[in-house]
Amino acid sequence: MKKLLLNIRSFFYLLPNILEALFSKPETISYPTVTHKPPAGYRGSVRIIAENCTGCGLCVRDCPAAALILEKVSKQSFQLIHYRDRCTSCGQCELSCKFNSIYLDNTYEEAFSKRKDFIEVLVDKTEDR
Amino acid sequence: MNLFNIFLRIFIFPGFLFMLILALFLHWLDRKLIARFQGRVGPPWYQPLADLVKLFAKEDILPSGTNQYFAALLPLISFASVLTASFYLPIAIQSTPSFQGDFIVLMFLLSMPSLMYFLAGWVTQGVYSIIGGNRSLLQYFSYEVLFLLAMSGTAIASGSWALTDIRLTQIKVTPYIFPQIIGFLLSLAGLIGKLKREPFDIPKAKSEVIAGALTEFSGKKLALWYLTIQLQTVVGLSFLIHCFFSGLWQMNTISGFFIFLLLLVILQCVLSAISAIYARLRIDQLIHLNWHIFIPLTLLHNIYILLK
Amino acid sequence: MSKITVPIGPQHPLLKEPLSFLVSLEGEKVTDSVLRLGYVHRGIEKLAEQRTYIQNIYLIERICGICSHIHSTTYCQSVEELLKLEVPKRGLYIRMLLCELERIHSHLLWLGVLAKNIGLNTLFMYAWRDREIVLNIMEEISGGRVSHSVNVIGGVQVNLNESHLSLLQQNLQELNKRVKEILRSIENDRSFQARTQKIGHLSLEDIKRYCVVGPVARASGLDIDIRRDAPYAAYDELNFEVPVMTKGDVWARSILRIHETLQAIRLCVQIINNLPDGPVSITAPRRVPAGEVASRAEAPRGEVFYYVRSDGSQNPARLKIRTPTLTTLITLPGQLKNMQLADVSAIIAGVDLCIACGDR
Repeated sequence: MKKLLLNIRSFFYLLPNILEALFSKPETISYPTVTHKPPAGYRGSVRIIAENCTGCGLCVRDCPAAALILEKVSKQSFQLIHYRDRCTSCGQCELSCKFNSIYLDNTYEEAFSKRKDFIEVLVDKTEDR
Repeated sequence: MNLFNIFLRIFIFPGFLFMLILALFLHWLDRKLIARFQGRVGPPWYQPLADLVKLFAKEDILPSGTNQYFAALLPLISFASVLTASFYLPIAIQSTPSFQGDFIVLMFLLSMPSLMYFLAGWVTQGVYSIIGGNRSLLQYFSYEVLFLLAMSGTAIASGSWALTDIRLTQIKVTPYIFPQIIGFLLSLAGLIGKLKREPFDIPKAKSEVIAGALTEFSGKKLALWYLTIQLQTVVGLSFLIHCFFSGLWQMNTISGFFIFLLLLVILQCVLSAISAIYARLRIDQLIHLNWHIFIPLTLLHNIYILLK
Repeated sequence: MSKITVPIGPQHPLLKEPLSFLVSLEGEKVTDSVLRLGYVHRGIEKLAEQRTYIQNIYLIERICGICSHIHSTTYCQSVEELLKLEVPKRGLYIRMLLCELERIHSHLLWLGVLAKNIGLNTLFMYAWRDREIVLNIMEEISGGRVSHSVNVIGGVQVNLNESHLSLLQQNLQELNKRVKEILRSIENDRSFQARTQKIGHLSLEDIKRYCVVGPVARASGLDIDIRRDAPYAAYDELNFEVPVMTKGDVWARSILRIHETLQAIRLCVQIINNLPDGPVSITAPRRVPAGEVASRAEAPRGEVFYYVRSDGSQNPARLKIRTPTLTTLITLPGQLKNMQLADVSAIIAGVDLCIACGDR
């Protein structure tokens, strides 16, 4: 008997499913008015604790996208520059840093209108000013 | 009727503007229902109007080598024939001019857009357009016949080929939906085949031939095709309602108008549900379904009506 | 009958990635087809020779979007074997969890694409709605929905805590129910069967001649699975079944992949119930000693094979990748012969191509 019912239902199998979906909440959100919050482990923008940074260059060596550049004037005076358009938010710089100074946080800055806003100077320890 | 009344009837109330609004409303209902069946939110109410306005603003180009005059004529002929067909149907419960044989004239006018669709594919000469046009011609030969035969059951039962007589017989006896339920279902299947909706939309299957015969159209011509397809749905459904459900309301009253609209909305819901649950059938499966299953059933049904 | 050449060209609504098929039709029947690859070739094997081993992890992940974690797992496995490192058990279990979650998400994505190409948009939306559960789980664990970047040489870089485990338990039960409902829909719906049965048939001899791997081979009767035959990453401690079917058409492949999805859910439940304690990674030295190693893993599409040769410096000397899509692509012109044009979309979607993997 059950087989006969299944056989009849096979001609219009999805009908109960669509009626059930009609009366429940939809799964999609209307995007520009309603947004989605990223979870806590989301890797977004690169941030720095500037006091801990010693300019060793481990993060620069390991970045797969060449998004970090270290400009060394002398041993104590250097600049760490981050190219935001090349960064893929992979987190390897956070893993390579031995001094806990570079990390990734939860936010993601969407877009910039000027080309020069993409280049961010993370640490500026040049002392010849 | 003075000139002002004629102007009002043709262009505003049961004429051009009203039909346009009804067509856009039914199209929105279709898309919203299918979206809700699939678990999505669906488009807002102004989406079909926004699509139409956007299409009118786009550039209108065609491949070189097409006959520009002919390609501009085809959407105009289809649009005009569907609008003319709407004048014979009492869509807003007004009395319409009727004569013997206008059933057949209405069938002919409603089938013009399918023929023009095939010719549009032929005239724009792209690979996808030709394949889509050929498939739509096969489908046209099969499903127009089914629609005509299934609807003829009502004309046979009322004894004449005039639309007013069909309505009057239903008011006297009973709406034809009750004795002729099989005929109703078969003519619904024929309507789906005529309108090229899912599951019979292989001429415009997006994953094989990008948009079928209309692949190369854009701009104002495509806007006219889009409107023609929506209007064909409205006129086809109203035809169905007129022939099968006519005894349920009074003519020329407000309550009758709302009952008619309610029936239109219910039939559109049924069409959307059928679109959502079936996969697209291949062209040989479509033809097999038509000639081996639907047409014999229709013939048996009509013979039974004749003998009664 | 007229002869037409239809370009299922580089850009087509049927394909997810660019691939060029020139199908010659006679009426509605396909007589011949010509395949062209290389539209997404990025030269990954050459690029890998100019980057260090650590930078290569992120490069290898971007070969394919759908099976990215499997690629980086196989790469890390081969480098760990060169370094003779022993990855801690917890790290291996977390790697396996993400591999199986990726298998589930890849199969649900594939089912949606097949359903869309044959016109059943409702099943497409339902499969992708259920895929959202898996993507939300992966986002909670690793931070990314599709590309995770959790592998490092020596283990993984994320850890699972109590809230992750309870989220996983709940969601996997819900997912199990929904995937079973999808399986019943495929097995019973007549319009789906009418479009996918008896087309794209591959016999067992064809499979062995073209060396096809993966679900396409298992659907024609060949019983191979790297997770069972040559276990990597602690698969020998878990028990699961490998479904095999004999019909060999598109319908058999669909049902097989959904059975594989159910087995993957069963594996995920076992992994979270038996998760060992301990560290998740060990530190790896930067210089890799000279040597060569080959390593395999079971991607959602079949067996993926990596060969790494090192000459003692910081960059690999040669990295060779053989992805499973290459084997299935070669069989396509044979499958398409004497089929109708409407079946071409079902066959191409049913064989689950990932052209980005194939072109590298």
